[in-house]
Amino acid sequence: MKNDIFTFLIGGKAGEGVKKAGSVAAALFSQMRRSVFQMDDYQSLIRGGHNFSVISTAKKSINSHYMKADLVIALDEKSVSLHKGHVSDSGIFVYNSDAVQDADGIGIPMLAEAKKFPNPKMRIGVSGAAVLASFIGLTKEQLKELIESEYPRDIENNIAYAESIYDIASEKIKKKVTLEKGEISLPLVFGNQAIGLGALSAGLDVYAGYPMTPASSLMHFLARYAKEFGIAVMHVESEIAVANMVIGAAFSGARAMTGTSGGGLALMEETFSLAGITEAPVLFMLSQRPGPATGVPTYTSQGDLEFALNVGHGEFPRIAACPGSIEEAFYLTAEMMNLVWEFQTPGILITEKHLSESTMTVSLDPDRTGWAEPLIHSSGDFQRYADTESGISPLLFPPSSEVIKWSSYEHDETGITTEDGDTIVKMTNKRNRKQASLINKLKGMNTVNVFGTEGPVIAVCGSTCMSVLEALHAGGIEATVVQPRFLRPLPVWELEQFRERDIITVETNSTAQFTTLLKDKANITARETILQYDGRPFDPVELADKIKGIL
Amino acid sequence: MDDLTTYADNTWCPGCGNFSLFSAFKKAVNLLEEKGTEQDTLVFTAGIGQHAKIFDYLNLSGFYSLHGRGTATAQGIKAANPDLNVVSFGGDGDSFGEGLAHLMFAAKRNADVTVIIHDNGVYALTTGQFSPLSEKGYKGPSAPGGNIEQPFNPLTLILEAGATFVARGFTGEIDHLADLFVQAIEHKGFALVDVLQPCVTYLNTFKEYKEKTEIMETVPASKDKAVLLARQKDPLPIGIFYRTNEPVFHEGLYGSWNPVTQKMGENERKQKIKGLLYGINNNY
Repeated sequence: MKNDIFTFLIGGKAGEGVKKAGSVAAALFSQMRRSVFQMDDYQSLIRGGHNFSVISTAKKSINSHYMKADLVIALDEKSVSLHKGHVSDSGIFVYNSDAVQDADGIGIPMLAEAKKFPNPKMRIGVSGAAVLASFIGLTKEQLKELIESEYPRDIENNIAYAESIYDIASEKIKKKVTLEKGEISLPLVFGNQAIGLGALSAGLDVYAGYPMTPASSLMHFLARYAKEFGIAVMHVESEIAVANMVIGAAFSGARAMTGTSGGGLALMEETFSLAGITEAPVLFMLSQRPGPATGVPTYTSQGDLEFALNVGHGEFPRIAACPGSIEEAFYLTAEMMNLVWEFQTPGILITEKHLSESTMTVSLDPDRTGWAEPLIHSSGDFQRYADTESGISPLLFPPSSEVIKWSSYEHDETGITTEDGDTIVKMTNKRNRKQASLINKLKGMNTVNVFGTEGPVIAVCGSTCMSVLEALHAGGIEATVVQPRFLRPLPVWELEQFRERDIITVETNSTAQFTTLLKDKANITARETILQYDGRPFDPVELADKIKGIL
Repeated sequence: MDDLTTYADNTWCPGCGNFSLFSAFKKAVNLLEEKGTEQDTLVFTAGIGQHAKIFDYLNLSGFYSLHGRGTATAQGIKAANPDLNVVSFGGDGDSFGEGLAHLMFAAKRNADVTVIIHDNGVYALTTGQFSPLSEKGYKGPSAPGGNIEQPFNPLTLILEAGATFVARGFTGEIDHLADLFVQAIEHKGFALVDVLQPCVTYLNTFKEYKEKTEIMETVPASKDKAVLLARQKDPLPIGIFYRTNEPVFHEGLYGSWNPVTQKMGENERKQKIKGLLYGINNNY
């Protein structure tokens, strides 16, 4: 499998342009029409510390980064010690010889060369592209074009610096690797961008957020393109305000959404319930990181699964979905926007840092998403909470000659407060009927992805699906991967066909929450469970070994 | 019963200041209609508390929100459709306790909403505990020895937060109060009307207010003067303390635009996304 996969890893301090160097490599591979997966590992700080970016590329599709790299570049001392072990058997290790005197590898005076230009420490990351270009046999002219498009600020100095590093590298690195061109050039999109694009494609009008890693980049992306799409993107005082504002926006008829991580969702919980009783169509996005509380802000986890599936007090229908890839994040976000508007109830898109902030080459087609449209009241007396057979009451939005009342109290069909026992039962039943309507709808949709047919079943949710698919490829393992796209309601009608199969589950948490969900809701029992909860996504080779160990 | 009153049973205590506030508001709605503001464009939110029962009684479109959150809901409504005139009713406990941050930030960003505070200095719905605006020494079930905290001054607080329209009214002066509501709703920007609204059950201050309140004939000439007058207790000025024009939040956000009524069509939106896919700028 190594033959068609090439991995580039670059590490250094925050502020040295490590992630940028990774993105430049990814862009280069994508321009070569290759598939790309980029994973950025960074700490919760702005300067110093340790960051690294790892990019794996293949001619055919690739679903994960690999931790063993063909080219490892260490910009600082810490990276030398941390990433020495990430060089593959046939790979090379290049380090900044101004940071470490004598490491076992190829030393290049990256800082000394950078000091010939202004802001040397900020510029040092440019050496990543230069060394890579030399290693994979790009010409100096090709390197120049790459630097021009990727490092447009202070362009002349960047080119001069890159060329000097390229010359030194070309002299010192005797080994060269040839990367074949792939077949199709696809855009590079990170998970939160895919989510934002999916929401836009389904008609998003208003996004409100409060900064919280790893969800913030969704807000940043939408804020950047707000004017172009004529949408409102607001960063307001707290997650509580955020959640209430998106419900207010929905009252005005806006397709509204917010995103956060675990702690933020905890603050939104009161309002999630409010969306339940007011029957507000709003979409929440949860990007998980390790908790509890502040936990480990910039790393990945599936530890909030049970919380996210059960968020909110009281009983009301809700929709929870969990994308298994960045491409799916686009389509599933759009599907969720459509579903929350069809069923007028809150939805939650559950993902993780590993999906939100990893970048992939993807094929996204906006024409394949729906356009969220509510059922509109057409004639006769209007009652906001009309007690219909499906439980879904047709909507109107202000300004209207009809009075439209949405209420957090239990209410009658008009929306006026009630404490009458019969009305409480009637309105509870009305909302609960939406749950049955929702299940009927889901039965006509793709609710479970199944990859392969033979071997044991590996059941997963979320971005772990990408890790498992790549692990099967890496390890040459035959298995059937089963990934429910919806987790609540859990598509038991699709999952029950696997009940008698040999089941293995893989999760990134310590208590096997997804495994428990399968057992509790679908009566599917896993024979073995592989758990990883160090905040890191799986390495496909290590995961393949773990899977082989229990087969 | 008039057109602006619903069929809901009214459960405010007999003699409650909320009745007068309700009457003054309905009067304001009619005055606004005469001046050209269509009732259909008026929507309102309420928090939770005795004040919030107005949601059930007032026959206009609206959103019955959570305790303290009505001002946040109101801002979401306005940001999505700025053609709406949005009023947020709040209690003093509701808006200056649980919802203080939403209120302060609404003023800070000059959100174009009108907040009407039913200020009775007590948590009435939950049986008379001290509120953020209760005087020191006020005795309630959670502070049998008397409130040991100083109250906020709602007007100086909101002025400092950046409110561009600040007024105080009294339920003993219904016509004056209705006029304040009209002016607050007509004001472009964040408006707060603090309504002295005595609670007949837990803290009946009607007589005291009747004696001490004094209608200001003119708007104070500066914010400093407004602050001084807002601190004055006897006589207790009512009327408009401050009014100024500043850029409003939604226009700062997207200019003269309406995300809902001017929404880009599906085809245009999808074409734009296709164009964007190959040109996403990741340099941020």
